[in-house]
Amino acid sequence: MLNKIRDLVEKTKIELDKIIDLSDLNEIRVKIFGKTGELTNLSKGMRDVPVEDKPKIGAALNEARKSIEEKIKTIEEKFEAAILAKKLEKEKVDITQPSKGIEMGALHPISSVIDKLTDICVSMGFSVVEGPEVESDYYNFEAMNIPKNHPSRDMQDSFFIDENIVLRSQTSAVQAREMEVRKPPFKIVCPGKTYRNESDSTHSPIFHQFEGLVVDENVSMADLKSMLTIMMRRLFGQDTEIRFRPSFFPFTEPSIEVDVSCPNCHGKGCSTCKGTGMLELLGAGIVNPKVLEINGIDSKKYSGFAFGFGLDRTAMILNSISNIRYMYRNDIRFLKQMK
Amino acid sequence: MKISYNWLKDFVDINIAPQELAKKLTSAGMEVEEIIYQNEHLHDVVVGKILKIEKHPQADRLVVCQVDIGSEVTQIITAATNVFEGALVPVSLPGADLVNGIKIQKSKMRGVESCGMFCSGEELGIDENYFEGAGVNGILILPNDFKPGTPIDKALLLDDVILDVGITPNRADCMSIIGIAREVCALLNQKMKVVNYSYDIDIYAKDTVRNYVNVDVKTPNCFRYMAAAITDVKIERSPLWMRARLNAVGIKPINTMVDITNYVLIEMGQPLHAFDQENIGGSQIVVRQAKAGEKVEALNHSQYELNENIMVIADQNKPMVIAGVIGGPESGINDKTKICVLESAVFDLKSIRTTSRAIGVRTDSSARFEKGVNVANAELGIARALHLVSLLKCGKVVRGIIDIASKKNEARKIVGSIKKINQILGVEIPSSDMARILNNLGIETKVYGDNLECVVPPYREDIENNNDLAEEIIRLYGYDVYDKIDYTLFENAKITEGKHHPRLIMERAFRNALAEHGYYENISYTLVSLDSDAKMLLNNSDRLVKISNPISDDLACMRTSLMHSLLQNLNYNLSVGNKNIKIFECGRTYLSNGNGKLPQEKNMLGICVNNQNFDFFNLKAIVEDLLNKTSLNYIIERSNEAYLHPGISADIICDGVVVGSFGKIHPIVAKNYDVPQETFYAQLDDDFLASLPEKKIEVKSISKFPIVDRDLAIVVDEAVTTKELVDSIKSACGKLYYDVSLFDIYRSEQLGENKKSMAFNIKLSSIEKTLTDEEINQVMKKILKTLSYKHGAILR
Repeated sequence: MLNKIRDLVEKTKIELDKIIDLSDLNEIRVKIFGKTGELTNLSKGMRDVPVEDKPKIGAALNEARKSIEEKIKTIEEKFEAAILAKKLEKEKVDITQPSKGIEMGALHPISSVIDKLTDICVSMGFSVVEGPEVESDYYNFEAMNIPKNHPSRDMQDSFFIDENIVLRSQTSAVQAREMEVRKPPFKIVCPGKTYRNESDSTHSPIFHQFEGLVVDENVSMADLKSMLTIMMRRLFGQDTEIRFRPSFFPFTEPSIEVDVSCPNCHGKGCSTCKGTGMLELLGAGIVNPKVLEINGIDSKKYSGFAFGFGLDRTAMILNSISNIRYMYRNDIRFLKQMK
Repeated sequence: MKISYNWLKDFVDINIAPQELAKKLTSAGMEVEEIIYQNEHLHDVVVGKILKIEKHPQADRLVVCQVDIGSEVTQIITAATNVFEGALVPVSLPGADLVNGIKIQKSKMRGVESCGMFCSGEELGIDENYFEGAGVNGILILPNDFKPGTPIDKALLLDDVILDVGITPNRADCMSIIGIAREVCALLNQKMKVVNYSYDIDIYAKDTVRNYVNVDVKTPNCFRYMAAAITDVKIERSPLWMRARLNAVGIKPINTMVDITNYVLIEMGQPLHAFDQENIGGSQIVVRQAKAGEKVEALNHSQYELNENIMVIADQNKPMVIAGVIGGPESGINDKTKICVLESAVFDLKSIRTTSRAIGVRTDSSARFEKGVNVANAELGIARALHLVSLLKCGKVVRGIIDIASKKNEARKIVGSIKKINQILGVEIPSSDMARILNNLGIETKVYGDNLECVVPPYREDIENNNDLAEEIIRLYGYDVYDKIDYTLFENAKITEGKHHPRLIMERAFRNALAEHGYYENISYTLVSLDSDAKMLLNNSDRLVKISNPISDDLACMRTSLMHSLLQNLNYNLSVGNKNIKIFECGRTYLSNGNGKLPQEKNMLGICVNNQNFDFFNLKAIVEDLLNKTSLNYIIERSNEAYLHPGISADIICDGVVVGSFGKIHPIVAKNYDVPQETFYAQLDDDFLASLPEKKIEVKSISKFPIVDRDLAIVVDEAVTTKELVDSIKSACGKLYYDVSLFDIYRSEQLGENKKSMAFNIKLSSIEKTLTDEEINQVMKKILKTLSYKHGAILR
């Protein structure tokens, strides 16, 4: 009996190894385990086995069943894996076909810069504020220490609605409004549209500025330098350097122009910076004590610094945009490149 | 402003080259925009003496000249007819590169060698005003005392270097040679040379200025009026050195007296005016405001009608000069002038500015007055002019100067704080450096403890406080001290909380969502043409914010709607071949609140789409998605905005306020903007939406039992709306309601006219148990009953 069982296992295993089709496997399964299957028949022979041999033969039968079943399972898995592989191979797609479903749009480069800058400034303790674009002469000029008929009015050509209402020529107009309502210490930034009566290949009559104002005790030019350094590094990259040059603005004293190392060539000189390695980007300075006084802040106790710069130019530098006309034409071919 | 390098050297020893000087001036805030070398095109041009003239053997019109050019005798062929043996002429030699583009080489003319060319005045870049003979049609014949071989730029005093300096409005005192010289002194650590203000005068003469002129100042706009008289005036060509100076800075030399006034204007920054005494009616000068309707003829040959805002210098009878701006031909100097009255005055800058703009005339004089001339400058200017009269021997100065001043401007004492200045600058500058810099600038400064005791000269009206001193000190100490400073991190400052702007935050969420949905953000000009409102079928014509000085008709008023911008952008994009346009803009619209008031500025979001397979409901989805980011409670009602299609448009309403509108644009608007009719537009009031409390999410509990769903198709009249049916379904479901959605609408002849079939998917769920079929069927029956009772629905 034991020999028969062993022979059956051996024979079946050899047969199983020869199988080339999944249907043959079922045939063997029936042949072995079916109602009249070979192993079934052997099991039926248990009746005739003497009692003392029964456990031994029974165990052998179980062992045989288990080993054949395992073998069948292994072969079955092998076949299924092959079938699956074939199926997957057949389902192969051309991965270079265009994507579909999602078609993204894009943000305008100027508003992207505003997002970036306001995030930087808020993280540095600035609050973002806004003011009217159609502004009174008082806030745009007089409160910023630019009296009527003063020579410093010649620095900008403005659009007027009437004698006392102007399209703001600088976001600085917001400084005065904020100084009126805030108590030091405070830090504010103001992004927004500004207007000047000039239009040529490098000037748009409508453009965007970003204005900053800090009022506190003992604010210095060195503080201005460190704050602008951090800001410009976060905007243009960690290796950015800034440099001060003397200048004049009625609302700051001392007044400076701030040059920023060209992010395009890192100061080596390229077409963006006209070979100088530096970009003239910001106007800044210590808030003129007269401006503090006009707007109700005690200039003996408090001082401040202010800075302002063009967002159009900043966006153009950051995105290597060469033509200012692109900025307001809203051509999809241009905006698509902002993705 | 053009500054002559040679002229500067009258006042300060300059030991560095012009480029170097330009760099230093720029670094101190006097930006040198251009350096012009006067002799750029005069190299290889020398004085030559024609020794011999012979006929050209091959050409009748040419002559062959032997010319002494100092180092040698050279041969030059010319066609000029005004040359003669013994004449001194400018000779351009091989290598010369003249201002008119001619480059000189050795050449053969009809077989005879010519080693250069004789030059006319024009070829040297000068005219008759500058040098006698320079304007003739032919070769410039030079004076006999010129030496052959002398380089022509030296001989004609054309070897100056001109620096074009940008002067900031706070430094009116630098609109002069002497002003820039003061800066140069400070930069080079030099002392200013003494300026000669002395002139010859017969102190025993009884004749005084009063015998020639009297002055009456009748307007507060004249701060100071000084007048001197000069007899025995000789009106002639002024000497070459004076003409050279004026020519270098772009002023045409005319005659002695006129040149002296211009010389002082440039050198001292003091505008002067010279009158012919005989033409001053009644020998009386009256400084007054003009009377309305008075007229004056000006030197530019125009006649101006005056008014009370314009100040004039008049005689007994009539205005002679528009004060500080422009003189008249009658009262001015002419070739026959014998007695001259010289005016040195200071006027209110506001008055001159207004006048100059009102009559549209800007002169060298008005340019200085409107920036501000200090009262003390008038006496320096007149003294310097009288010095020049003596020097040129072109007249006798009469004893006495009339001086009427309503304003004084004297040196002021101010006290600065060293500590405070260093605090402003944030760097430690030694007090000795501070004092040195200020002293070099002409601000006499002594250090006492923490104090800087300064005597500020009259010409520095801009210096008043520590900030002003700090600027003077740092711009000359050098801003490069900051190059080494990295982070100070506000050693003294307090912490402030940074806050984003609530509307900008909301708009950022909108913009990002729209970009993710395939929309492109636009930023457009907020200035538009006056007809844009009508094109959009809007009616804000009485509320337009109009520009009084527009740059063009296209930019004449502020926009009243984003629609205009977006439809223009759509039109542009389609015209260049872009297709499937989905664009939006966040920006302001402007409506007037009446004259003299600031307008209403509203922040809006506009969306515009022209895309295949895009309809009203696609637009609605976008709008709903955006509104879902806010806490807005709203209903949607049919819109009656004129710019939208009356049947395919809706308003978003919150508590009776229209917060936005959307729909297909009206076909007339489409036509007006030349865009397709299938264009959709939406707008939202961002200010309103940003004023709402932040959206709060409150999660409701979820049933642990499964959702069941059933479909229901019914036939109703066309007039029945989806919302009515959905509301009824909801109420019929009661507590078991989970969701309902419309998934099909079907119309056919079989259904009949004005009928539609609508198919809903209804989802039910209970918090307590799994629903049985029976329970579900009961609900469905109830729904159908309600729909049929309320809306006449029939099961399909």
